[in-house]
Amino acid sequence: MRSDKFLQWLMIAFLLAFFAYLFGPLLIMSVTAFNSSQFPRVAPFDCFSVEWFNVLIQDTDLMEGLRNSLIVGFGVVVLAVPIGLAGALMLSQVAPRLRAWYYTVVISPILIPGVVLGISTLVFWRMLSRSLGADFLYDGIFLTIVGQATFIAAYSMLVFLSRLQRFDAVQEEAALDLGATHVQTFRKVLLPFLKPAIGSAAVLAFLASFENYNTTVFTILSDKTLTTVLASKVRYGINPSISALAVIIVFLTLLGAVVFEIMQRREGARQKESARIARGEIKTRSKQRNIMTEPAMITLAVITALGLGSVYFAGTLGVEDCKQVAKAEKRALSQKRVKERQTLQMFRRAAPSKETGAGTATAPKVKAKGTEGYQSIFAPSTLEGMAGQENKQEEEKVEAKGTEGYGNIFAPQNLEDQVDSDKKTE
Amino acid sequence: MNPRAYFENFFQRNGRALGTFLLAVVSVWILILILAPQLFMVDFSFRHNLPPAEIGGAKDTYTLEHYKFMVYGSAQSQGSYNTVDLGVFLRTLLAALFVTMFDLAICYPVAYYLAQSASGGWGRLMVLSLIVPFWVNEILRAFAFRILFGTTGVMNNMLMAVGILDQPYDFIREDVALYAGLGYAFILLMIFPLYNAIESLDKNQIEAARDLGASWLRIHFRIVVPYAKPGISSGCTMVFMLTAGALAAPQILGGPSSLWFTQLVFQWFNQGQNWNRGSAYALVLLISTIVLVTIAMKIFKVRLGDIGK
Repeated sequence: MRSDKFLQWLMIAFLLAFFAYLFGPLLIMSVTAFNSSQFPRVAPFDCFSVEWFNVLIQDTDLMEGLRNSLIVGFGVVVLAVPIGLAGALMLSQVAPRLRAWYYTVVISPILIPGVVLGISTLVFWRMLSRSLGADFLYDGIFLTIVGQATFIAAYSMLVFLSRLQRFDAVQEEAALDLGATHVQTFRKVLLPFLKPAIGSAAVLAFLASFENYNTTVFTILSDKTLTTVLASKVRYGINPSISALAVIIVFLTLLGAVVFEIMQRREGARQKESARIARGEIKTRSKQRNIMTEPAMITLAVITALGLGSVYFAGTLGVEDCKQVAKAEKRALSQKRVKERQTLQMFRRAAPSKETGAGTATAPKVKAKGTEGYQSIFAPSTLEGMAGQENKQEEEKVEAKGTEGYGNIFAPQNLEDQVDSDKKTE
Repeated sequence: MNPRAYFENFFQRNGRALGTFLLAVVSVWILILILAPQLFMVDFSFRHNLPPAEIGGAKDTYTLEHYKFMVYGSAQSQGSYNTVDLGVFLRTLLAALFVTMFDLAICYPVAYYLAQSASGGWGRLMVLSLIVPFWVNEILRAFAFRILFGTTGVMNNMLMAVGILDQPYDFIREDVALYAGLGYAFILLMIFPLYNAIESLDKNQIEAARDLGASWLRIHFRIVVPYAKPGISSGCTMVFMLTAGALAAPQILGGPSSLWFTQLVFQWFNQGQNWNRGSAYALVLLISTIVLVTIAMKIFKVRLGDIGK
């Protein structure tokens, strides 16, 4: 028995660690979105601010990407959901000998790496548009819709298949016996039954399209979607406006999850009611409220509005004052550093020049290691260039270095070039 | 059944309009979206990289040059092997295998708990909270790991505050961030197949084994794991294929000296401007992952039909 208790505790500890792994990174990223610091970080937390959300909205690249992502998502839903439906209906009607083959072929796009799908779509449609002389086929948005629909249709098919498993074919036969045409039966019997599945397949298709990168990066050509813009931004230097975007997406996802849960409960209540009617306990169904007037929905809306409002006020009021204070603190800190350095310098001057030479030789080593921008400031070479009281300049330098905590991936020069070119493009 | 009778039967069952619609849509999907591009890519990878004007001309012949390049390197270094690309290829497959094992190890207990112990509202909440992180963009998830594992990131600050480290550890150069991020990305695809498989296991079997005195470890290895084998192989297949084919996480989290095989493919398309060679590399990736998965399924005696359940 004692070992059982022990195992139980072990399980709880494991679950906690697992969910920490699941949510920790997202939580930390969300916190960095509200830090006024130039570099996404949790500590030191400068000022609580929503300025990065403004930066995000003013980013024209991201907004263009978002627009294209919405267009592509819409196109994929329109293309992939009917294909998935037809594919699912077809599965039961394929000759039994062919069924295994059919299933393997239509399920394969899920297992084929997205990169391969993107490449095959790209080279195939380029060939097609060249040999037909139809340039409009070789268009980033169109190719992306086609490439994504190839595998997203398979996702939708799986959604429809699981719903169809519960379909009673007798209903269809009854409709046909009563004189309905096939199209009528499809529209009046099968489609209403599949309605929930169509909804979830559409949502799934849109989300899968919206977050796809591997296929899109090849098929989008010179256009851009939200994910390709994001990827290039993240690869060349990062700032908290990307965290801000993440906060919005996490928030919308959570909101969606809660609304989904509320709708599930409603559905559950309805089914219980149906069961009671069937048992004869009650006669009629109580009138279903409009979903927007459901108490849970109203509570949700009020909490959301209050939360957003307070975050907005906390993030805009007093931010400037706080920043001034933070800046002053930083300046004081760097003045202290300069003073320390001056004493050090005087000490060095007194020492034989040999030592200075050795010190310079170690400087590149520190830089190459690139662990932290701050370290290179202490390198003697930096020191010499900084004779006197260039406080301000030095502080800026510290800031700039601070933003490249990842200096090891991209050499500092690269980053600076990138900043320059960013400025140029602006 | 001869094809004509089959089609007559098909149209009789669905009606002319609906039957045509179904047939047309499914054939567009299978022929134009799935098969034609794949087959064309195979053909394309065996051709020279030519400017548009020369395509279809005398120079447009079949060649093995792109595959040879991957194995032997450029013509100048003929004889010796292309160690860089082959190294990246092997490393990618091994790392993908490692990530798959890691995901299996951490997801199995959670799936078991969800399927056998969690009930009602608590279980639903857990499922929902598993899904939520999955809907956050792949790029943003990788970005989160960069913040977490950066030199001034939370992980380093925390470990230094506790005193485990005395100077920042470069998680990104050592690929810790990459493996953590890749493992994170496909957790859901491991948990749900496992969960589906374990859920249908009759609790009485576990009870019986316990009553007969089997140890906790023995119950899992003799009862739960054999029963859940289709789910395990299904989850492992998905995670392995997706990890080996991942592009975003290696681009964002990969260290400076380590490349992922998909990044080579990407380079041939973007910087290299040699689409034929890129296609050849992509095909090598596709075929080798499929072969590995098939071998693994043979070894563990799982049928293809069990996957995707």
